[in-house]
Amino acid sequence: MIELLSDPWLLITIAVGFFMAWAIGANDAANSMSTAVGAGAITPRQAVLIAGVLEFTGAYLFGKSVTETVRKGIIDVSQINDPNVIVYGSVAALFAASLWLLFASKFGLPVSTTHSIVGGIVGYGIVYAGTSIVNWGRLAQVVASWILSPVFGAVVAFVVIKLISRTILQQKDPIESAKKWVPFWIGITFVIIGSMFYIKVMHEDSMLIAVTKYGIPIGTGAFLISFVLLRRNFKTDDPYLGAESIFKKVQVPISAYLALSHGANDVANAIGPVAAVYTVATMGLAGMEVPVPKWILAMGGLGIAVGVATYGYKVMETVGKKITELTNTRGFSINFSAASVVLIASALGLPISTTHTVVGAVIGVGLARGVKAINKEVVKDIVISWFVTVPVAAIVSGIIFKILMIAG
Amino acid sequence: MQVWTKLFAKSPFKPLIKHAEVVLETVEVLEKALKAWEMGDCETMRNYARKVDDLEDFADKIKQEIRDSLSSKLFMPVNRGDILRYLQMQDKIADAAENTAKWLLVRDPNDIPEDIKEEVKSLIMKMSQESIKAAKLVYEAIVQMDRVIESGFGEKEIEREYEIIKEIESVEHKIDELDTKFMEIIFKNSSRLEWGVGMYLLNIAKTLSNISDKAKDAAERIRLMMNK
Repeated sequence: MIELLSDPWLLITIAVGFFMAWAIGANDAANSMSTAVGAGAITPRQAVLIAGVLEFTGAYLFGKSVTETVRKGIIDVSQINDPNVIVYGSVAALFAASLWLLFASKFGLPVSTTHSIVGGIVGYGIVYAGTSIVNWGRLAQVVASWILSPVFGAVVAFVVIKLISRTILQQKDPIESAKKWVPFWIGITFVIIGSMFYIKVMHEDSMLIAVTKYGIPIGTGAFLISFVLLRRNFKTDDPYLGAESIFKKVQVPISAYLALSHGANDVANAIGPVAAVYTVATMGLAGMEVPVPKWILAMGGLGIAVGVATYGYKVMETVGKKITELTNTRGFSINFSAASVVLIASALGLPISTTHTVVGAVIGVGLARGVKAINKEVVKDIVISWFVTVPVAAIVSGIIFKILMIAG
Repeated sequence: MQVWTKLFAKSPFKPLIKHAEVVLETVEVLEKALKAWEMGDCETMRNYARKVDDLEDFADKIKQEIRDSLSSKLFMPVNRGDILRYLQMQDKIADAAENTAKWLLVRDPNDIPEDIKEEVKSLIMKMSQESIKAAKLVYEAIVQMDRVIESGFGEKEIEREYEIIKEIESVEHKIDELDTKFMEIIFKNSSRLEWGVGMYLLNIAKTLSNISDKAKDAAERIRLMMNK
């Protein structure tokens, strides 16, 4: 490792990769935690702590296989004979993606980090070898997710908030109904968390095993525990506040889960290119089977955690102070929908962006007349920013790559 | 990333409730002015009447702010036009109260014939009490509308809202009856009344009954907000 660090390009890639990880932490951590913070389930300080620790844990322990996909799944690296191309290209892709993320953060647009890095890699690939190098199937999946993620998010959130209001909020005695129905929702939540953990975090693909061995036992346990807890120590006079306070507690594990799986999935966006350069530095060529060393994963996780701590805190604080329109049931509906949509999509093999699903879910709750006011203009800006992410990252990356090739 | 804070726009319902609060206060201060009028304490009456004017101004300002913030960029669970028309009606309640206050300021009520004086005054006071009831119910109705949305248009909350609307309608009906009775008294005694006194009294009663008329209109608008 010591002699590796004398390689200037590896050092540069690590620096840019760390910066990208920082940008992911600063930008995306707010996605998984902000509904919980906005609904008052956790304070900004707690959100930063939970997100920081879990993002790092997810990245370090479970980030490996996605990293492999980013390293060599988007373009066909075996077509690249010159190792320098991998090095310059990785730096260009990281730079382009980070710049775009910074720009999006500045204007408050929740763009997908995955899409940014995919765009960056596609950009340098096309500049180097033309369109044939691109894995178009994967790119088509990315494009499909622009439409699928928000639509699924919206549909599920719409149904969930309707069901919750029918079965709990609109009942004669919301507290009694909540005692009956909330354990059911908590149970389902943990079925999803358990199954998702198996599939997304441990990167297994048998949905049947995930649900039967992880989801259902964990969900049943959560159901029983919450059922007993609600019967025993739950006293309140206001029926709505009562129902809300129950959902408030469920929001904490579900957003913690989102942070963990986000760390596991998105660390690859920062260190996938770093891993590619590392492979070149150690083996000389890119297509080789070189395991991603743990210290690179740790570095990515650390970068995300630092991003959460330095910039994420400010974001969470603003969110905590400003969103007054988000009750715990709405926050729960949004998080629950995002988590279950990502799970079902994984099982069906559909590409889904968590960020986009969450935004879709917010709109779904609005369509169910659950939120008092949503800014249509902002929704429009967000959707536009999704469509430009891949092309912009690709073009910027292509330009940086060209410059590096000429200068290098 | 500030997108969450931007995505959730500020709801117009809190300011609407605030506006209803000011409207209610306007009507309450008007009642104080009328009490002073009943006692013949013109000095106090004028002070309160001027305060009614100030409060109506304040309500106007809030109304303007709500209108400015309710751009068509918002996506809301109720129709934007319904909210704007409701706001207009709610504001007209304060306008009606101000109109009564204006009549109070025009002259001192010292020449009502003694034999009908008590009846005239007690009818006006009854009407003003009922007007406060109407304004209070409108305030309750908009608070309840907020709850209707909070519950995701729960049937129980909608039912409660309909009850409040019905109450407003019954108060309006009661005031109409009082107003008719008042007119009868004035016209029965018209030969003994100076025309200015008659007009003065009739207009106080008319403007007072206007308060509940506007309250009823506002309630109608709330009904529309729930039927979408």
